[in-house]
Amino acid sequence: MASVTLKNIRKVYPNNEKKKKSKKGEPVKKTNLKVTKEGVLAVDDFNLEIADKEFIVLVGPSGCGKSTLLRMVAGLEEISGGDLFINDVHMNNVAPKDRDIAMVFQSYALYPHMTVYDNMAFPLKLQKMDKAQIDKLVREAAETLDITQYLERKPKALSGGQRQRVAIGRAIVRNPKVLLMDEPLSNLDAKLRNQMRAEIIKLRKRIDTTFIYVTHDQTEAMTLGDRIVIMKDGVVQQVGTPQELFDHPINLFVAGFIGMPRMNVFDAELIKDGGKYAVKMGKVVVDLDEEKQARLAAKRVEPQSITLGVRPEHLTLESTGGPMLHGTVDVYEMMGSEIHYHVTVEGKDVIIIVPTIGMKDVVPMGSDIPFTFGGNVVHIFEKEKGTNLEF
Amino acid sequence: MEKALKRWFPLFVLPTLVAFIIGFIWPFIQGVYLSFCQFTTIDRTTFVGVQNYVNAFQDAEFGSAFRFTVSFAVVSTILINVLAFLLALALTQKMRGTNIFRTVFFMPNLIGGIVLGYIWQILINAVLSNLGQPLLALNSKAGYWGIIILMCWQQIGYMMIIYISGLQNVPGDLIEAASIDGATPLQTLFKIKLPMVMPSITICLFLTITNSFKLFDQNLALTAGEPAHATEMLALNIYNTFYFRAGPQWKGIGQAKAVIFFVLVVAIALIQLRATRSKEVQQ
Repeated sequence: MASVTLKNIRKVYPNNEKKKKSKKGEPVKKTNLKVTKEGVLAVDDFNLEIADKEFIVLVGPSGCGKSTLLRMVAGLEEISGGDLFINDVHMNNVAPKDRDIAMVFQSYALYPHMTVYDNMAFPLKLQKMDKAQIDKLVREAAETLDITQYLERKPKALSGGQRQRVAIGRAIVRNPKVLLMDEPLSNLDAKLRNQMRAEIIKLRKRIDTTFIYVTHDQTEAMTLGDRIVIMKDGVVQQVGTPQELFDHPINLFVAGFIGMPRMNVFDAELIKDGGKYAVKMGKVVVDLDEEKQARLAAKRVEPQSITLGVRPEHLTLESTGGPMLHGTVDVYEMMGSEIHYHVTVEGKDVIIIVPTIGMKDVVPMGSDIPFTFGGNVVHIFEKEKGTNLEF
Repeated sequence: MEKALKRWFPLFVLPTLVAFIIGFIWPFIQGVYLSFCQFTTIDRTTFVGVQNYVNAFQDAEFGSAFRFTVSFAVVSTILINVLAFLLALALTQKMRGTNIFRTVFFMPNLIGGIVLGYIWQILINAVLSNLGQPLLALNSKAGYWGIIILMCWQQIGYMMIIYISGLQNVPGDLIEAASIDGATPLQTLFKIKLPMVMPSITICLFLTITNSFKLFDQNLALTAGEPAHATEMLALNIYNTFYFRAGPQWKGIGQAKAVIFFVLVVAIALIQLRATRSKEVQQ
């Protein structure tokens, strides 16, 4: 029920300790985070407009600053620079309890000395709401999350999945303006995680609020988010819908992060033949489709050596008539509906996904496998910086 | 391994068990028996039934020692625990130098009770003489508060360490969750932190209550029960009854008082443990 605006948000952890020196006398560097004079830069110049009722997912590898950012929105971390607005109200110096937000923690953070009912009633009791109203809201939320039968139990007597529901219940019971979730599914096993992911999608339909969800899991990001924010080393890489990120990754990092299994990369040449762009790998030349032609032309991209990205599901064994790429099958994994070939091509590992429907024979391990790709599925990255040349 | 343990455990238990029986169980049984006798040595005894207990309860000094001990125990238990908890709260904040303060507050524990008693006797007497008040030997009010100050000074540091470890075990997530749920720092303290440190409270209350009732050496060194037994606590009263009262009956009466004392301390400790244990939570 609120928009959230983040303007030039920064987080700096000041250097209190004297710089540790390694044996060779050089400072120890643990992460790729930028170190400035003030300290370690955990989040740098973060800008985002989150619309009312939008579901935003912050995703990135551990240490990328996504949780720090969430905690700054919650008010649990001080904002070192920039401005945070919730519903156009400046929030930098507002205490967490006055921000009208709720948060679901990775560890659930249920109060162990209270029953499930009391856990969920706690935020309402603090608002001095009358008992009948509290009872009504708690029971409604419990109904929504299907935990009514556990209301009198203590958290200790619940399974991980049930505790997670209670944690979500405690968050939604007071109908917060913004619901923050910090890796809420990370402590669950794979099966339960899939189930809870679907529950969150359903929940989202039922309650009208703005979500900010932090995860390191690209599947969660893709399935849950209206928009995804990909972060690395405290810096936003790309913001967009799941489909945008999948189809047009802005750089190699995003390309590798989104999509399972990760995108294959090849060394290739971008050539321009009669005004038309094409990619060339050895003897294989693939013309780019209209859209990519236009994008590259608009940017006046010169022919050059590139890193070529093609997703495993976009590589095909079907012959196009022209020359094919060749590799050796290392192993293959039979998944039922599809088969994953792990192929070595010029010393590089490449994965090819082939649907089993209509498939003739499995290519045995150790044998040669010819494959190719279309001009509409390639991603063209600058060789040095790894940025997408289409942007 | 487990089988071998089951088979041989008596062999390993025996030495300590024998020592425990010789040093504790047997004297304890003898002591209970002697409380029903008039005796001079443990061989020269005459059984007198419950006469010693009747005399003990009729002894005015025992009654006054009991009242003094209870009032001391109540006040010192509250003061020690409240102050120790507040110190623990202060010293678990992210501040510089907390380790130094922890060490400093803990140090009085390293000094023995008799020594402490004499040191504080000198200190308190010096203050009293400066104020023109009667010294400890003639001033029961100063004696009462003197013992309380002494015990606070000695025990707060110890209890503080226990409370600190309890507070450090409260997950940071819970405190953050509470702050987001809308709790003020005070509400967080009473509704989250206090219930979460109940195990520490149980231990500290047990220790302070039993210590207060059993208190002997500090009492002996600081006031020795003066003036006129007005600051005499139960343990000191039993000691004085046993060794310093003239008449053959007093050893038996002292013995009876000791048994009453034992039952009292055990009963209070058990009630307290039951009361606070029920409030503890398992995470």
